[in-house]
Amino acid sequence: MTIWFREHLFALKSAYTHLRAGTGNFLFNVLVVAIALALPIAGLTLIENIKPISSQLSIEPEISIFVSPDTARDSATALSVQIKRLLKENAINGKLAFIPKEKALAAMQDSSSLAEVLSTLGGNPLPDAYILSLSNNDTEKLDSLVEKLKALQDVDVVQVDSAWVKRLAALVQILQMGLLFLAITLGVVVIVVVFNATRLQVISHQAEISVTRLLGATNSFIHRPYYYTGALLGLLAGALALGAIAASLQPLNQAIADFAKLYASEFRLTPLGIVPSLALLAFSMLLGLCGAYLSVRRQLARAS
Amino acid sequence: MIEFDNVSKLYAGDACALRNISLTIPDGELIFLAGPSGAGKSTLLKMIAGIEKPTTGRVMVNGQDVSKLQTSSLPYLRRKLGLILQDQKLLNDRSILSNVMLPLIVTGAAAQEAESRARVALEKVGLLDKANALPLTLSGGEQQRVAIARAIVNRPKIILADEPTAFLDRENANKVLSALKAFQSAGVTCLISSHDEQFLDQASRVIYLSKGQITDSWNSSIAA
Repeated sequence: MTIWFREHLFALKSAYTHLRAGTGNFLFNVLVVAIALALPIAGLTLIENIKPISSQLSIEPEISIFVSPDTARDSATALSVQIKRLLKENAINGKLAFIPKEKALAAMQDSSSLAEVLSTLGGNPLPDAYILSLSNNDTEKLDSLVEKLKALQDVDVVQVDSAWVKRLAALVQILQMGLLFLAITLGVVVIVVVFNATRLQVISHQAEISVTRLLGATNSFIHRPYYYTGALLGLLAGALALGAIAASLQPLNQAIADFAKLYASEFRLTPLGIVPSLALLAFSMLLGLCGAYLSVRRQLARAS
Repeated sequence: MIEFDNVSKLYAGDACALRNISLTIPDGELIFLAGPSGAGKSTLLKMIAGIEKPTTGRVMVNGQDVSKLQTSSLPYLRRKLGLILQDQKLLNDRSILSNVMLPLIVTGAAAQEAESRARVALEKVGLLDKANALPLTLSGGEQQRVAIARAIVNRPKIILADEPTAFLDRENANKVLSALKAFQSAGVTCLISSHDEQFLDQASRVIYLSKGQITDSWNSSIAA
C-alpha cells in the first residue's frame, strides 16, 4: 500500500513537472476541451430548467370555456347544465369548475407582475369562465366536444389548455435526444483532443521514457503521469465550462426576465445543482483519462 | 552466472549481428568484450538486459531464460542489472542526484532512502559535491561517472558497460575503469564492451568478437 502510494505521488509530481514545462500548451488544450464541453453543458442547463415547468403542468386534457363578457351571471351559471349534458352525450368523464370573474381578477392581482397593469385598467375586464378537467385523452372525442362547446350560446372562446403542455413535453424530449447525440459527438472530440495532446507529450518525452524503461520501470510507472495529466485536463476543462455557463446566465437572465414578463411569468435560468455539477466534473475527468489511456497505450506499444 | 547457448541474431535483410555465440560468464568476473566496431559487442550486452532478443538460442541470466521473458517481466530483470550505456543517457532536465535516484524511485523506494543511497553512490565516484548540478554542466568524464553511480545505486550483481570510456581522455578513462574494478572486487560481475584495446590487460578475461562471432578468448595476466 505504501509503495502504491509513493508511486502515485511520484506520478503526480512527474505530471506536474511536465505541465510546468509546457503550461501554455496545456492551458490551450484545456480551453479547447472546455469549449467542446460547454455546448452540451449549456443544453443540459436549459433542459434542467425547463423540465420542472413541463412536469409540474398537468398533461391531462383541460378545456377553458370563456363566457361572453356581456353575459349575465345567471346565464353564465346555467351553462354548466348544458356542458354537463354534452359530457354525458359524448361519454366523457370530467370535473367542471366555475371561475367567476371576481375570483379570476383576484388571482391575477396576486401576481406581482400584473397587479400594476390591472390597476390602470379600471373595472374588471375578465369574463366568467369554466375549467373542464377531463380524464379521457381521446383526441377525436376531445375535438368533437370542443366543437360542440363552441356552438353553445353565450360561449365566447374555448381553449384546450393541455395542447401546449404536450408540445412542450415533446419538445423537451426532442431536446434531450438532441443533447445526447451532441454530448456523444463532443465527448469523442474531447477524447481525440486529449489523445493528441498526450501523444505529443509522449513523443517529447521519448528519451526519458526509454531511460526509465532501461532502469527497470514498469509500464504502469511510465504511463501513470500521463493518465494524471489527461484526467487533470478533463477536470479543469469541465470546471471552466461549468463556470463559463454559470457566468453567462446572469446577463441572459436579464433578457429572459423582460421576455417572461410579457407572459406574466417570472421564469429565470439557474445554474446546475451541486450533484449534477460534480457528476459532470467526474465525467469530464473520465473523458480526459480515457483519451490519455488510449494514447499512451498506443504510443508506448509502438515504441516498445 | 550468464550463459549464451548457441545464440544468433539476424536482422531484416540477413544482416547478422551475432552468429552461434556460446559462452559462460561466472559470477564476479571482469570481462572485456573487445573487437572492432560492428563486431556485435553491444548486441551481446543488450541481449543480457533483454533489450534485444536472440533469433535463435538462449540467453540465461542466473538460471532465467531472458530470451523467453514476457515484456512485463523485463523491468524486474533490469532492476538486478546496472547499465552504463554508450551515450550516458542522463536526463538533462534534473540534477545528477535525481538521475542517480531514479533506479530506486522506479522500484518504489522511499524518497529519503533513495536520496541517501544516491549520495553514497555519488561519493564512491567522487561527485558528491556536484550532487545538485545539471548533467550538461559536467564534463564527459564526470557524466560517465554519474552513469556509473546510477548503475550501482541499486546494488546490482551484474554491471553491463557499453563503451564506457568512449570519448574520454586517458585520465578519465582510467578513473572509470578503476571504479568498475572496485565493484568487481566486491563480487559484482562486470561486462565491459570496448574497442579500446589499451585496457585489455585490466580484465580477468577478454572475449574477442569479429563479425558476430567469438574469434578469440583469453584470460589476462591479472586473472592468471
